[in-house]
Amino acid sequence: MKPVSRREFVAASAGAVAFSIALMKLSQGWLAQAGQCLGRNVQRPLAGAMTPPQSAQIDAVAHALNRLTFGPGPGDYARVAAMGVPAFIEEQLAPEKIADALCDRATMRFADLWCEPLGEHYEEDDDALPPILRRVTLLRATYSERQLFEVMCEFWSDHFNIDPSKGDCRWAKPTDDHAVIRAHALGNFGELLRASALSPAMLWYLDGRANGKRTPEEKPNENYARELMELHTLGVHGGYTQRDVMEVARCLTGWTILAKKKDGFSGKLLSPFKNRGEVFFQPDAHDDGAKQVLGHEVAAGGGKSDLDQVIAIVAAHASTAHFIASKLCTRFIADEPPQAAVQAVSRAFMESRGDIKTTLRALFATAEFASSAGEKLKRPFHFVVSALRATNAATDADSPVISYLEKMGNAPFRYPTPDGYPAEASHWFGTLLWRWKFAVALANNHIGGTRIEAAMLRKKMGGEPALMATLLNRTPTAEEADAFAKSGDGIALLLASPAFQRC
Amino acid sequence: MATPQLSISGNGDDKHTLVVVFLRGAADGLTLVAPLADDGYYRYRPRLAVKKNEAVPLDGFFGLHANLRPLEAAWKDGDLAIIHGAGVEDESRSHFDAQDFMEHGGLVAGGWLGRALRARGPSRSPLGAVALSPTLPECLSGAPTATAFQSLKEFAIRHEKRPQFPAELQRLYALESGALRDAGTNTFDAIRRVEAIPTNAAPDNGASYNERDDFAQGLRQVAQLIRADVGVEAATVDIGGWDSHFVQQTTIEPLMTRLAAGLAAFRQDLGARMGTTTVVVMTEFGRRVAENSAFGTDHGRGSMAFVMGGGVKGGRVFGSPHTPGGGTWPGLTPEMLDGPGDLPVWNNYRNILAPVLARHGTSEEALAKVFPDYALKPLPLYG
Repeated sequence: MKPVSRREFVAASAGAVAFSIALMKLSQGWLAQAGQCLGRNVQRPLAGAMTPPQSAQIDAVAHALNRLTFGPGPGDYARVAAMGVPAFIEEQLAPEKIADALCDRATMRFADLWCEPLGEHYEEDDDALPPILRRVTLLRATYSERQLFEVMCEFWSDHFNIDPSKGDCRWAKPTDDHAVIRAHALGNFGELLRASALSPAMLWYLDGRANGKRTPEEKPNENYARELMELHTLGVHGGYTQRDVMEVARCLTGWTILAKKKDGFSGKLLSPFKNRGEVFFQPDAHDDGAKQVLGHEVAAGGGKSDLDQVIAIVAAHASTAHFIASKLCTRFIADEPPQAAVQAVSRAFMESRGDIKTTLRALFATAEFASSAGEKLKRPFHFVVSALRATNAATDADSPVISYLEKMGNAPFRYPTPDGYPAEASHWFGTLLWRWKFAVALANNHIGGTRIEAAMLRKKMGGEPALMATLLNRTPTAEEADAFAKSGDGIALLLASPAFQRC
Repeated sequence: MATPQLSISGNGDDKHTLVVVFLRGAADGLTLVAPLADDGYYRYRPRLAVKKNEAVPLDGFFGLHANLRPLEAAWKDGDLAIIHGAGVEDESRSHFDAQDFMEHGGLVAGGWLGRALRARGPSRSPLGAVALSPTLPECLSGAPTATAFQSLKEFAIRHEKRPQFPAELQRLYALESGALRDAGTNTFDAIRRVEAIPTNAAPDNGASYNERDDFAQGLRQVAQLIRADVGVEAATVDIGGWDSHFVQQTTIEPLMTRLAAGLAAFRQDLGARMGTTTVVVMTEFGRRVAENSAFGTDHGRGSMAFVMGGGVKGGRVFGSPHTPGGGTWPGLTPEMLDGPGDLPVWNNYRNILAPVLARHGTSEEALAKVFPDYALKPLPLYG
């Protein structure tokens, strides 16, 4: 290379700098878009009508947004008000018809998590996948337009809770999330239940993989059978007996998964990657005698079809309809759901044979749903996502923001026992300090990888009253408006305020 | 004191505080608590054994390493119980596997301490569980609220630019009614109590914590929180670095000094409040009984644990429950050792933790869920 004199170098550099500045100015829009394509700094566009709520109470539109979504962002109220609540509910009940390009962009770089076969996941390090799954879950909740779908994914993730810190669940839970929870979140309950029963992660988590009967002495492992009835279907007082638990366990003997086995001496993996985590039925470990489950005969010799019979029996049980209805009403109406609503929802579940959309439609049509506005405490995950959405934040959902959820004890897939995170408010009152700290950190851009543009937000909304109404989902009270002004940091104040903790 | 401060937590203060100290890296129980009267010990450890004349004598058989002398007072007062052959059934001798197994409480999701706290029902304190570390340890996984922190200053709702912010927020919560108002009041109360802690004030009862030791400073902050009655139910503090394959003495002697000085200062500082506090010291496994050629020891099985605190019938060493001819120490002979020559695990860590959790309000029914798939035989630490 030809040596360059200092003078030549300076001149050339100056030219290059000027050129790059021009290029940067020219391409700023393009660069921003490229950033979004890469899935970083994704932000919901501030476009269309921004008219905020005008009512001093949570009105029907705001209520629907509060409960069917993880909280409205700027412009959502105007959009739903224009289309009407019934049309919004129908829109949300058909997520496959909702374009979701922004969320796809935000999550596409993690697509291996749901595109790869399970066996490939085993190549990952012990602690690689659960943090990515947490991150993707937060990104989807924040950016997806299929909000009710995401809310129901959260609901079923609790209902069929699996903590990935147990055994092979660290590799198998992402596949459960994709092939069980997300595949059936608004589908048919019986199909969801069957998918869960045969999910590698569930077979690990509740020890189904170890449930076998090869000899007369071997006792079936009852863990999954019990939780299947206690937590997944009939509920603890749903009318099953210890004998039913034992009989269900017998029906399910023989189903197992190809586990990650290490050679005790070399530490090398024994089974080939591609088949690892595969679910299979071992006829020799199945108890093929006759069984009786909840009053139904399961004939001898049923083999692997015993599982389908069990699923059909428990999914169609009246107690299951009541239990699922009760949990849904707790999530969408109140911690102690009114019995009239539970009965209506339970009926819809029975009559539709567990069609989740029909069941939800019935729930949203109850008078009890309509009259419950603004009285539920958001769980921390809901609180954090609703704050991100309300402020139109750009977040990478990486550990700085997840760590707040850890402190509030509500990070996704961190609940250890099979009953899932509790829905009731009483469990979450100890989390206020971290909610407040999160509100202040978010409003002041002190969370790494997460940014809001407060001035832009205020401008787009058309001033502070509109901003306050957007954050609160109603017009502020006199005290709220006063505190908003006096606090010196109105956004943080309203995010930390009692009203924002509720939905 | 003017008026006695009421507890802000329905659970924490009346059920006391459990402090878990984890010695990460597998501490050599045979050095911390040496079987001075066992000739086998000196045969296996010709260069590394604790010398009889240097040890702190305990009961005529065992002795503490000289660097643990600050613990002698707790032993003599009967507040310190020592458990030998403590460990986990996991035989991998892998730090990761054994710690994982121990902190989860078996092959099970979540942490034993997290499950125990969850079983007590909702915690009303934002400080129910605290970890003096950059991240939460696995044993606290699943706790209702759990906070990893390194300084008490983090327990505040402060606004750098807007000092009036907290007051305005408090005003809005005061306008509420019902449970959310109560939660807000409790939280502001906890913040006030933490803020009122004179962080630079001298510890009570003439106790002294090493200023430059983060373990001691961690314990000091735990003591400050306990005294502030903010509802701390569980706290975890770690000391790492016990993996002494190479020149064991220089590796672990400074650690033993820190451990003992920190624990003794904590006990002295809390004074009468130790009656409602328990400290458990545990490690993932012990070391090979025979020393290696590098003046170190390799991965073994059984190690030791300490339980210090209120109600403990201490001044005792729990060892092997079935020693021929009685006693708790069968003697280090080839027949008695486990696998490649390790002290056996006589006392599963669950049987040490179970009675401690029971004292801290965990019901028998809940214990079965804290340690599932295990037939508990709680050690009689309290009687």
